[in-house]
Amino acid sequence: MAVILVVEDEVFTRQVAEMMIQDWGHDTLSASDADEALLFLRSGRHIDALFTDIYLKNSVLGGCELARQAIELRPQLRVLYTTGNFVTDKMKALFVEGMKCLHKPYTQDQLQDSVEALLAA
Amino acid sequence: MAVSDIAASDIVETVPSALIVLDRNLNITSANRAFYQTFRTSADETEGCLIYDLGNRLWDIPALRILLESVIPHRASVEGFEVEHDFPTIGRRTMLVNARKIFRPGDHDGSILLAIEDVSEERAARQESKRNWQLTQSIVDTIRDPLVVLESDMTIVTASRAFLTIFGITEAETHGRRVSELGQHQWDVPALRHLMEKVLPENKPIESFEIEDNFPGLGRRVFNLNARKISQPGNNAHRMLLVFEDITDRKQRERDAVSLTNEISHRIKNNLQIIVGLIAYEAKWTATPCIQGYKAMQARIGAIAQLYDLISQSSRGRTVAVDAYLREIASAMSASLIGDMSGVEIEVKAEPLEIDPDRAVPFGLLVNELATNAIKHAFPRGTGRLMLSVERVGDQIELIVADDGVGIKDEGVARVPEKRGSDYVAIFVRQLGGTIATSGSEGNGTIVRIRLPLLLVPPGGAERVAA
Repeated sequence: MAVILVVEDEVFTRQVAEMMIQDWGHDTLSASDADEALLFLRSGRHIDALFTDIYLKNSVLGGCELARQAIELRPQLRVLYTTGNFVTDKMKALFVEGMKCLHKPYTQDQLQDSVEALLAA
Repeated sequence: MAVSDIAASDIVETVPSALIVLDRNLNITSANRAFYQTFRTSADETEGCLIYDLGNRLWDIPALRILLESVIPHRASVEGFEVEHDFPTIGRRTMLVNARKIFRPGDHDGSILLAIEDVSEERAARQESKRNWQLTQSIVDTIRDPLVVLESDMTIVTASRAFLTIFGITEAETHGRRVSELGQHQWDVPALRHLMEKVLPENKPIESFEIEDNFPGLGRRVFNLNARKISQPGNNAHRMLLVFEDITDRKQRERDAVSLTNEISHRIKNNLQIIVGLIAYEAKWTATPCIQGYKAMQARIGAIAQLYDLISQSSRGRTVAVDAYLREIASAMSASLIGDMSGVEIEVKAEPLEIDPDRAVPFGLLVNELATNAIKHAFPRGTGRLMLSVERVGDQIELIVADDGVGIKDEGVARVPEKRGSDYVAIFVRQLGGTIATSGSEGNGTIVRIRLPLLLVPPGGAERVAA
């Protein structure tokens, strides 16, 4: 069982994602923006992976910046991005090394495959 | 033979300049061969003649009179005295006259040696060059984009008025300096320098080299630099024309458009994500036999979202390039073939055809449905080849989806999900105004041929923009 921090500003999408992840036996922590997520990341809570939307509220690449700070705080953390936008070279350059991106809209099967691959890596 | 042995007369006869010797009364005492040839006269007509009377008073030139009567009496020699005159026999000529007083032993009055060089052609060429340069400069000054002309050593020969005005510098500040030294060294970019070094020796123009920087008095600007070699006919010297195109506004419009597209895409995908989430939530509470149907619904919504991206990437203004579109679909589908299905290869054979974006989604969904069916059922061992092909046949487009898999064993019996898939295929074909030409097993696999009306946008209606 792993603990996954889900960062998504769209409440319904976040809750459904958490529901799916919990169905597979994992725990989730929930944040709607980078500041909330950083509170968890700076706390002593155990976190195995970060699943973050790239476009967070008004910050087009907010998820990329969050992941960068998250890795500085917790170098062993695994990161899975999601986005509804085209993944540009500029975006890729900001990705934490070796991390994957799941395109929206994703199904529970696609999310499950990505989360399992992330935790197995 | 020593140099001193050569007779002075031999030298005089050999030199290409026309030479004449005048006595103190300005009568011609002798002239050399070059003089006779240049002015088409002879020794008989020349010697003993007053220079002004020579050749029907051809040499009665006011400028020459000034030289001989006013300048020479007071100076031992005169060099580079320019005389321009219309000679009836040889036309308008510019002569460069060197004069020297010579004294022989016992001759106290002395003589005058005139060396006359015909510099008409050189002067005409210089004049022509000056006129060309003035014309070039006036063209340069008329062009609104700032530009400079560079020597082969990369120093500036001339800068246009627009260049001086826009960058707020004077002509003196540019002349002889390198572009990289100007302003706050905004143009001192190694990649640009590298490209500029190739323009003249390799005749390799620079096309659209973009530089974005802060410029004093202008603020943040984006310039597109274009450079090419310029040569003057009959001249081996080459120069470089470097044009600076201010594309700041265009760049901003492009960035705004990208930003808007991203914003719309973000909203559409988030809404589709909510729909997929709603279906997932419903599926959680539904009976197991129905779950597959919910998942199929999610997959089709995912396909529409993916097609939306692919259409954007294959778009050429108002049309979608069907070949690029099909390749994108194949590429996205190949990327999803993981695990047991990673041995399936998807190939595309497509003509460069264009379709209306309104028809691109049903077309993509049709391809997606046919290809997904083939992947699901044709390759139980997880290996094989799937071919997606589009070609023009007369006034129709033929879409072929063919595999080398196990084929359809019993065409009459189809399970519910496949039946639904076939229904969708029929619906999309009908929506596109086409027909299913053949469907079934051929050889070792299955082939589906679909004929669609030519969905090309009329030539006048197509706004072709590079993808």
